[in-house]
Amino acid sequence: MKDKPEPAPKDFAAAVRGLAATWVALIALMLASLGSAYLNLGVGNVVAGLVIATIKTALVVWFFMALRRASAMTRIAGAVGLATLILLMALSFADYATRARAPARWQSPQQLAPALGVGAQR
Amino acid sequence: MTARTAPLADAARTPRHAETALRMETAELGMWVFIATEILFFGGLFFAYLYGRTHWPEGFAAAGRRTDVVLGTLNTAVLLTSSFAVALAVAAAEHDRRRWVARLLWLTAALGVVFLVIKGTEYRHEWSEHLFPGPGFALAATAGAELFFVLYFLTTGLHALHLTIGIVLMGAFAAGTEHASGWAHPPRLQVAALYWHFVDVVWIFLYPLLYLIVRHS
Repeated sequence: MKDKPEPAPKDFAAAVRGLAATWVALIALMLASLGSAYLNLGVGNVVAGLVIATIKTALVVWFFMALRRASAMTRIAGAVGLATLILLMALSFADYATRARAPARWQSPQQLAPALGVGAQR
Repeated sequence: MTARTAPLADAARTPRHAETALRMETAELGMWVFIATEILFFGGLFFAYLYGRTHWPEGFAAAGRRTDVVLGTLNTAVLLTSSFAVALAVAAAEHDRRRWVARLLWLTAALGVVFLVIKGTEYRHEWSEHLFPGPGFALAATAGAELFFVLYFLTTGLHALHLTIGIVLMGAFAAGTEHASGWAHPPRLQVAALYWHFVDVVWIFLYPLLYLIVRHS
């Protein structure tokens, strides 16, 4: 990443060209994502889908949302959101992935004998 | 270097200009902070999805095959194009092409409405195929399938709510630009556009997760 953010393009036509190129790339990536779903890649299917979605997001954030021109403070705000999401996802997955799933059978509600007072079983 | 990236450097020369630039930077930062909270809001739902998908892969695959991949892909294209339109509107505003700004913003709002209409068509099909979670759910025999559709309706519904807010926002800015209202100035439009792009990004992730689970036989 460069030290200084890029200035806005002086020329309107240049700005339009840059945005149009981003749009073409986004549509192409969408079609690539669609195509990948019809190939049998096993776990690679979900990986391909998420990797392509991440690339598309990067394009939107960098060019459409102009994060490349934003101040350092703004970039940090966005990065903190992303970092927190990754952190919480990783910690939650570490829990759920290592926890054995032991489904209990459905138990119908029933009246138990009181533990204290009249009718207590002791 | 644009003024808004270095407001303090310009302050000595043109205090008034620098004040505007500083306010702009604050507004942009505020929207990004809001987006960061939204990332975590949708993030919880994405986590629930990934948990379900890793624990009931067959159920999620069976349910995922029932979503409409044609309409889903079409809607993805519509939303990506709407983001392109609003980005063009911001560029046009920066270069003082007000008529184009209004047109492009109306186009953005219209594409948002098209998205909602297509989404509504999908909902109607799914309702008639008993894919809405509840009694009489079509895939009740497959564990996890109902969970998929709970998350499907929850995430797409919340996304549609966000998009509706965006449509109102874009319509307001389009009308404001046409009438040269003082409040609809380019920096403010740029901040509103960030929101629209964020809603687009949410869909970018929903698309492969809801429509492209297992399409090969």
